[in-house]
Amino acid sequence: MSGAAGSGSGSGAGAAGSVGSVVRRFLVEYGSGTPSRLKVLDAYLLYVLLTGALQFGYCLGVGTFPFNSFLSGFISAVGSFILGVCLRIQINPQNKGEFQGISPERAFADFLFANTILHLVVINFVG
Amino acid sequence: MAAPGPRLRLAVAAALLLLAGAQALAPSHRLTGRDLARLRAALERPFADLQAAFHSIVGLSNLGVRVADEKAACNFIKSNVDSSSVDSLFYAAQSIQVLSGCEVTVSNETRELLLGAVSEDSSVTQIFHAVGALSGFGLPLASQEALSALTARLSKEESVLATIQALETASYLSQQADLSGIVEEIEDLVARLDDLGGVYLQFEEGIETTALFVAATYKLSDHVGTEPAVKEDQIIQLMNAIFSKKNFETLSEAFSVACAAGSLSRNRYHLPVIIVPDGPAAVSHHQPVLRLQVTNVMSQPLTQASVKLDYAKSASTKATVLQQTAFALSGDTFELNFMNVKPASGYYDFSISVDGDKRFISNKVELKVKVSTEVGITNVDLSTVDKDQSIAPKTTRVVYPAKAKGSFTADSHQNFALSFQLIDVNSGAELIPHQTFVRLHNQKTGQEVVFVAEPDSKNVYKFELDTSERKTEFDSASGTYTLYLIVGDATLENPILWNVADVVIKFPEEDAPSTVQSKNLFVPKPEIQHLFREPEKRPPTVVSNTFTALILSPLLLLLILWIKIGANISNFSFAPSTIIFHMGHAAMLGLMYVYWTQLNMFQTLKYLAILGGVTFLAGNRMLAQKAVKRIAAEQSSRLAKYRTLR
Repeated sequence: MSGAAGSGSGSGAGAAGSVGSVVRRFLVEYGSGTPSRLKVLDAYLLYVLLTGALQFGYCLGVGTFPFNSFLSGFISAVGSFILGVCLRIQINPQNKGEFQGISPERAFADFLFANTILHLVVINFVG
Repeated sequence: MAAPGPRLRLAVAAALLLLAGAQALAPSHRLTGRDLARLRAALERPFADLQAAFHSIVGLSNLGVRVADEKAACNFIKSNVDSSSVDSLFYAAQSIQVLSGCEVTVSNETRELLLGAVSEDSSVTQIFHAVGALSGFGLPLASQEALSALTARLSKEESVLATIQALETASYLSQQADLSGIVEEIEDLVARLDDLGGVYLQFEEGIETTALFVAATYKLSDHVGTEPAVKEDQIIQLMNAIFSKKNFETLSEAFSVACAAGSLSRNRYHLPVIIVPDGPAAVSHHQPVLRLQVTNVMSQPLTQASVKLDYAKSASTKATVLQQTAFALSGDTFELNFMNVKPASGYYDFSISVDGDKRFISNKVELKVKVSTEVGITNVDLSTVDKDQSIAPKTTRVVYPAKAKGSFTADSHQNFALSFQLIDVNSGAELIPHQTFVRLHNQKTGQEVVFVAEPDSKNVYKFELDTSERKTEFDSASGTYTLYLIVGDATLENPILWNVADVVIKFPEEDAPSTVQSKNLFVPKPEIQHLFREPEKRPPTVVSNTFTALILSPLLLLLILWIKIGANISNFSFAPSTIIFHMGHAAMLGLMYVYWTQLNMFQTLKYLAILGGVTFLAGNRMLAQKAVKRIAAEQSSRLAKYRTLR
């Protein structure tokens, strides 16, 4: 009974703190389980995300003129984020089975190439 | 049953003739008296040289005019003739033929020179001048040899002018020679004429060539005795073209027109006839006679001709009022008293034909003749009609040109009415002219309103003024208006403007305008200001600068995170491919910046291709080396794990 009550109270208290405990658990697992190469990439992704969010917030606050500049900056952030995610997926050793023919180096080369094209278009459009 | 054949043929022939007559072209240009005087003045200039003398003397003779001082002309020719030049001899020979009692002696050498010029080796002009000179001096000439030389030369020179000169040359040769080859050239030349709008026919070389062609054609045709192969319509078109030129720039041009005029008025085959009314083509009771001038192209009256009116039809009703009547010759003109048949006023289509000579062409013409008359106004009644029709209308009769005494009122209770009749004073018939207007003129403000009076079925004109219906035309301005009656028509000799009466018009007060504004359309309109495109609203510079600084903060966060994670460049190998790769990559990023500030897409792609190629090759090598190192590390770690397992 006490165990059930305990588990009930534990679950109630856990429900309130479950989100926090899930997050803490995730952070611990992340810190230990992720190779440092991926962590570096994740930091880059976070940076790009923040940059895009800031641009969007500025546009909401101040207005869309000049619209082409906003679009080009935002698309640069979004595109870079997507390419970074693709690179992370391809480099991740846990996904090695799905990317037999693509070595990490090849993935990185693809990442660089795609970024070049993306930023060529972005610079064309920024005006 | 034996008769229908010839009768049918006659009917068909008559129909064709009628058709031909109906569609024949009428001459649009001729030499009037004034044109002739101008042409004479152009030709009567003092002689500049022998060629000018030739043009003047022979040109004037074609117009039927003699040179003023024949002796002086003769002396001029004698002193200016050059016995060694074929052209000079030609001009002299032709000129002395026209002047009476002028002789030039010709030496044997001159004769030999001229005979020698008639050969295949001389140009057509030379042959023409030589033959003309020999003929003019009355010297014998072998026509057959001349003809063969001419024909041979003509086949080499195919210009229009050469052919025309060949025609003239042939007219000097004896009839014994077979000139039919040259005569056929006339047809070929006719085919080379340009048709301008169906009215004019001329050579592209100009009026002078066309006029010389006409003169040469008739000269040769008269000489040979065959009708020239030119159709009647073509002759009229040639005439129109030649006589459309009224001012002559050069003496040779005037000469050519004079020759053409002379040949068209005196040849054996075609005489164009010009039929024009003398003055305006209008008759009336004061002027009942229609006069016609029937002349040739040089405005010389053809008094031998017989002029006949084929028919005169009313233009509106198409009823024939007169037919098959002859015109009488009076002096130089032909006249007909048309008012004898008492025609109603209006326009009539006259068809007139001129006969008397088989050579006449364009001798049928259609004229529009106006018959005018005078109009009279009768039964003029002015009345005020009560709207309720409770009171009988008061009618006043007015007689033209008096004015009605007293004034009439038109207001909300009563309308003003006017009725009258228009008659032809001479015949008593009722008339419907084109213009019957009633004009009301406000004496104070100067406004005027014009209405049209229309006839009813009995040809009585009626006009009614209802103030409530017509207040928009008057702008509701009450006051005294003078009433005028205006009658006019093209066929009336006495148009009428008659002040009939004064009418007081009262409009209901509430509609009266404050002032009568005359609409002035010609004052400057209000100026339109151009609105320039407004620039977009921008945030203040502080805000955008702050944001720019803010956007760099995630970069700072990134660097901090990377340091915390422990990212380093300790594995950086200084192999050449690595260095080249990193420098190439940095250069590409720099290129992006330069693209933003300066370059266009094409230049950027060019540089990018170069840099990208270099970077790719270096990067490929670098990454391959890394891959090799990685695979070696993986293999060694697997080997170590294998060993520990064992």
